Amino acid sequence: MTTISDTRAVSTRRRRRTRPGSKAAYAYIAPFFLLFAAFSLYPWLDTAWVSLHDVRLSTYHQQTWIGLDNYKNLFTNAFFWRAFKNTITIGIISTVPQLCMALGIAHLLNYRLRGRTFFRVAILMPYATSLAAATVIFLQLFDKDLGIINWFLSELHLPRVDWQGSKWPAQIAVSSIVTWRWTGYNALIYLAGLQAIDGTLYEAAAIDGASRWQQFRHVTIPGLRPTILFTIVVSTIGASQLFGEPLLYHNGIPDGGTSYQYQTLGLLMYQQGWTNDRLGLASATAWTMFGIIVIAVLVNLALTRRRAHHFAAPEAAPTLQLSEVTR
Amino acid sequence: MTSTVDRPEVHGKVVATGSEPRRRQRHRGQPMHGGPGTYLALIVVTIVSVFPLYYTIVMASHTNAELARKTPPLLPSTALFGNISKAFELAPLNKGLVNSVIVSSCITAGTVAFCTLAGFAFAKLRFRGSNVLLGLCVVTMMVPMQMGIIPLYMLMARLGLANHIEAVILPTLVTAFGVFFMRQYIASAVPDELIEAGFVDGANTFRIFRSIVVPAVRPAMTVLAMLTFLTAWNDFFWPIIALSSQNPTVQVSFQSLATGYAPEQSIIMAGTLYGTLPVLVVFALLGRHIVGGIMQGAVKG
Amino acid sequence: MPVPLHARWRAVAVLAVAALGVAACSSSKNSSAAQDPNAKVTLTVGLFGTFGFKEAGLYDEYMKQHPNVTIKEDDVEQSADYWTRLKTRLASGSGLDDVQGIEIGFVSDVVQNHASQFVDFASLPEGNTLKSSFYDWKWQQATTSDGKTLGLGTDTGPEAICYRPDLLKAAGLPSDGATLATKWASWDDFINFGKQYESSPTKPKGSNFVDSAASIFSTAVYQGNEAYDNSSGKPDVANSDGVASAWKYSTEAAQAKITAGLQQFSTPWNKAFSSGAFAAIACPTWMMGYIQSQAGDGNSGKWSVAPVLPGGATNWGGSWLGVPKASKHQQAAEQLVEWLTNKEQEVTMWTKGGHWPSNSQAAADPAVKGATSTYFSNAPVGQIFGAIADKMKIPPIGLYDTQIQQAFTTQLTNVETKGTDPSKAYNDAMSAIKQVTG
Repeated sequence: MTTISDTRAVSTRRRRRTRPGSKAAYAYIAPFFLLFAAFSLYPWLDTAWVSLHDVRLSTYHQQTWIGLDNYKNLFTNAFFWRAFKNTITIGIISTVPQLCMALGIAHLLNYRLRGRTFFRVAILMPYATSLAAATVIFLQLFDKDLGIINWFLSELHLPRVDWQGSKWPAQIAVSSIVTWRWTGYNALIYLAGLQAIDGTLYEAAAIDGASRWQQFRHVTIPGLRPTILFTIVVSTIGASQLFGEPLLYHNGIPDGGTSYQYQTLGLLMYQQGWTNDRLGLASATAWTMFGIIVIAVLVNLALTRRRAHHFAAPEAAPTLQLSEVTR
Repeated sequence: MTSTVDRPEVHGKVVATGSEPRRRQRHRGQPMHGGPGTYLALIVVTIVSVFPLYYTIVMASHTNAELARKTPPLLPSTALFGNISKAFELAPLNKGLVNSVIVSSCITAGTVAFCTLAGFAFAKLRFRGSNVLLGLCVVTMMVPMQMGIIPLYMLMARLGLANHIEAVILPTLVTAFGVFFMRQYIASAVPDELIEAGFVDGANTFRIFRSIVVPAVRPAMTVLAMLTFLTAWNDFFWPIIALSSQNPTVQVSFQSLATGYAPEQSIIMAGTLYGTLPVLVVFALLGRHIVGGIMQGAVKG
Repeated sequence: MPVPLHARWRAVAVLAVAALGVAACSSSKNSSAAQDPNAKVTLTVGLFGTFGFKEAGLYDEYMKQHPNVTIKEDDVEQSADYWTRLKTRLASGSGLDDVQGIEIGFVSDVVQNHASQFVDFASLPEGNTLKSSFYDWKWQQATTSDGKTLGLGTDTGPEAICYRPDLLKAAGLPSDGATLATKWASWDDFINFGKQYESSPTKPKGSNFVDSAASIFSTAVYQGNEAYDNSSGKPDVANSDGVASAWKYSTEAAQAKITAGLQQFSTPWNKAFSSGAFAAIACPTWMMGYIQSQAGDGNSGKWSVAPVLPGGATNWGGSWLGVPKASKHQQAAEQLVEWLTNKEQEVTMWTKGGHWPSNSQAAADPAVKGATSTYFSNAPVGQIFGAIADKMKIPPIGLYDTQIQQAFTTQLTNVETKGTDPSKAYNDAMSAIKQVTG
C-alpha cells in the first residue's frame, strides 16, 4: 500500500481520496443532463418507439405496431446499402484531408502575424456563408458545360467531367463543398487547442536542435491530442449524419443525384421521413445510423491511437516528458 | 535563476513557480513569427474561404435578368440597395435579425457557461460515475435527431411555446459538443497541480473554477462562443417548424424572400447578405480573444 | 466541504437570469377573438411559393374594406417544407394559421386524412353558391367522399406550349400560332416536328427543340383516364394508361435527342430561358410569369404561346385556401377566403399576376378572356388558355403523385443524359416508387 504524499507530486497514478469538489461536480453537470432530459430525451425515446411502428406524418396518431419490420426492411433494401457505402466514401474524402488542412491552418494561424484576427475571422466565413448561396457557386464551378473547372480541364486537353451525373466526380464535388465549409471550423478548434501548449516547450525543443517539423511532431501533436481526439469523434459523427450539402447539390431534391450516386444515410433518412412521409422507416434508419456511428467512432479512435503513438514516437528531446495528456 | 531540475515537470509541461513572471510573458504562445510562406498560404486560404461571400455580394448587386445570362458576372454592380429594399418589402428581415441576435446570444451565453462548468467537472473533479456520464454525454451526439423534431414540436406546443423563440433557445442551451469540447480543453490546459493547490489553499470549487480555470480556458470559451453563435444563427430546420413569419429568426425570415411574382435570385441573395452582417460584427469582436497562455505563472487565490 | 451557499445561489441566479431574459424575449400572444364581428382581428395566412396576393394588392384592398382586420402572411418558400410544417402542426393540433394554403400535390392527403381539421365550406349557408362558382373538378378535388369541401380554389394551370418563334423561324419551320396548332395536335406530331427542328441545317447552334423529356411526361400523364391512382383511389402506376402513354412519348423524345436534357427548376434550366437552349416547353399559365422573371425584360417579345396542347387539354398545378378549425377566428377567416377566391379577385389575380382562375365565373369574364401578353408577342393568352381550361380532362389525383412523378422525371434525365435504357429506367423508377408507397 503506497503512502499518499501531500506535496505536489509528479505521480501519474490515480489517487483515491474524497475530493472537495465532488458534490459540486454533480451540480455543474446537472444543467446539461436536466436540459437533455427535458428536451431531448423524450424525442429520443419517441423516435425509437416510432421506429417499431408503421407511421406517416399525415396520420401520425394512427400508429400500427410492426415490431422490427422497419429494420428488416432496411437490411434488405438496396437504397440503404448504397447510401451506407456512399456515406463511407464521402465521409472519408470529406473528413481526412479536411482535418489535416485544418491542423495546418491552425498551426500557421498560431504564429505571430499581422492581421491575425482578420485571418481568424476569414477562415470561419465559409461556415457563416449561407449554404444555399455557397452551393449555387459550387454548382456553377462544377457545371458540366459552363463551369470553370471543366473549362480548365479542356484547356489542359483533358476530358470534361460530369460533376453532377457520374458517381466519383459527384462525390468529390460534394466532399469539396463539405471540406470548404468545415475546414475553418475545425481549424479554430485546433487553434484553441494550440493556445494550451506551453510556448517554452517549443523553445526548449529549439534549443535542443529540433527542426520545425520535429517540433510539430513532438510538441504540437502530443499537446493537441485531446483536441485531435475531439475533432475525430465530432467529425466522424458529422460525416455519418451528413445531408445538407448533398441535398442542396441536387437542388433540394433528396435523392442524391438521378442515380442516387451521392445519397448519404442522412439524406436517405431525410427522403424517407419528409419526402416519402414514412416516419417509422426513417426513425429506424436514424437508430441504425446510431449503431453505425458508434462503431465508426470506436474504429476511428482505435486507428488514431495507433497512428498517434507511431507518429509521435518517443525519440524526443530529453528534457521533455511526453505522456498521455488524455486520461 | 533556477535550474531545470528544480522546476516541477508535470505532464510534459514546464510549470512556472511564479519566480520568473516576466520571462514567461515574453514567451507567451508561439515565439516564432510567420514567414512569407505563411502569409501566402493564409492569403490563399482566405481567398478560397471568402470568395463565395464575395460572390453573394456580386449576385446581390445585379438584377435577376443579369444573373440569368450565360456567363455569370464577376464584379459587383449597382443594384444592391434596390435589391435590399425589395427584400425588406418581401420579408420581415429586421424582426428576424433582432430575434436571431437574441436567440443566438442566449444560446451562446448559456452554452459557454454551462459547458465550461460541466467540462470542468468532467475534466478535473472526481465523482462517482464520471466516466459513465461523460460517455453518455458523448453518446447523445450520435443519434441523428432529424425525426425528433416532430415529438419536440408537440412538446413545445404542450408547453405553449410553439411560435415563441424560447422553443428555439431551450433545446440547444447546453450541447454535448460543448461539454465534450471544454472537457478536452480543460483536461489539457489546466494542470491538476494547480487545482489541487487551490484546494489545499482552502478555496472552494467555484472559486477554483472562477480564478484558475476560466482565465486559462479563455481561447476555448471564445472559440466555443463563435461556433455556437454561428450554429444557432444558421439553424434552419427546427426554426422553420417551430416558428412562423410573425416571430421569425433570420433564417425563417428568408423564407419570405421568394414570394414575389417569381423567386428572384438577386433579391434572395441581397436578403441573405443582410442577414449575415451581424455575424461578421460578432466575429470581429470575439476573434481577438483566441489568445492563450496566460495561465503560466501567477495564480494567486 | 459542501458546495458553499453563495456558489449555489450564483448558479441559480445565472439560470434565473437566463430564464427571465428568455421570457422577456418572447412576443405576446394574440388575444383570443371576441364574438363581436367588428372586434379587431389579426388573420394569419400561411402560404408557400408565390401566391401573389400581396403583390396584387389584395390584402390592402381587403383591409381597407374591413378596417378591423389585419392580414399577416406566413411564408415558407418550398411547398415541400411548408407541407412538412403543416403536417406537424396538424398532428399536434396547434400553431396553425387562420388560413392555410393547400397545393394540388397534397390536397388529396388533406382530403383523406385531415377532413375533420378543416372547415367544411359545403356545409356553410352559402355552400351551394360557392360550389357553383368554381370548376366542378376543382371543387371535387378538395371534397371528401362524403361531401365535405375543405378548401376554395385559387388558381389552376391550364397548359399550352410556350415557344421561341425566332428559333423556329431560323430553323426554317413555321412559327405562327395558328399553323403550329395544327402541327402540334398530338404528341407524335410534336415529336416529329422536333426531329425536323433538330435536323434542320439552319437550326441555331446549341439549341434543342424541347427543354426536357420531363416536360412531356408531366403533361401527358394527366391526359389519360388514370394518372398515378386508379379509380379506387390507390396508387396503381403499372396499370395506368396515362403513365404508359407519357412514358412512351417522353422516352421517344429523349432517345430521338430532341430535348436539351435539362432538369426543370435547376439553375441551368433557369438560364436556358434567355440563352435559347430550347425552343418549346409545356407551359401552364404560371410558367409565363416564371419565364418572364428568368429571361428578363430584354427578352420581351421573343417568346410566344401556341394555342394548343399536344394530346389534349389538361392542367398542371393549382391551389386552394382552407381554414383550420383550430383557428380562433374561423368566421373572419372564412370571409377572407371567400373574398380572395371570388370572381373579382380571381380576375385581378389573372390580369395582374398571370394566375388562371379556378373560379369559373371569373374565367368567363371578358377581362380574363380578352387578355393579351406584351411579353409573349401579344399572344391572346386569355383566349388560348380559356379555350384549354374549358376542355380540360382531369383524371383522379392521389396521395403520392408528387413523389411518383419525381421518380419518373429523375429516371428520364438518366435516359436523356446518360443513355440509360428505358426499360431499366422504368424499373428503377418503380423501385423508387415502392419506397414511397411501401
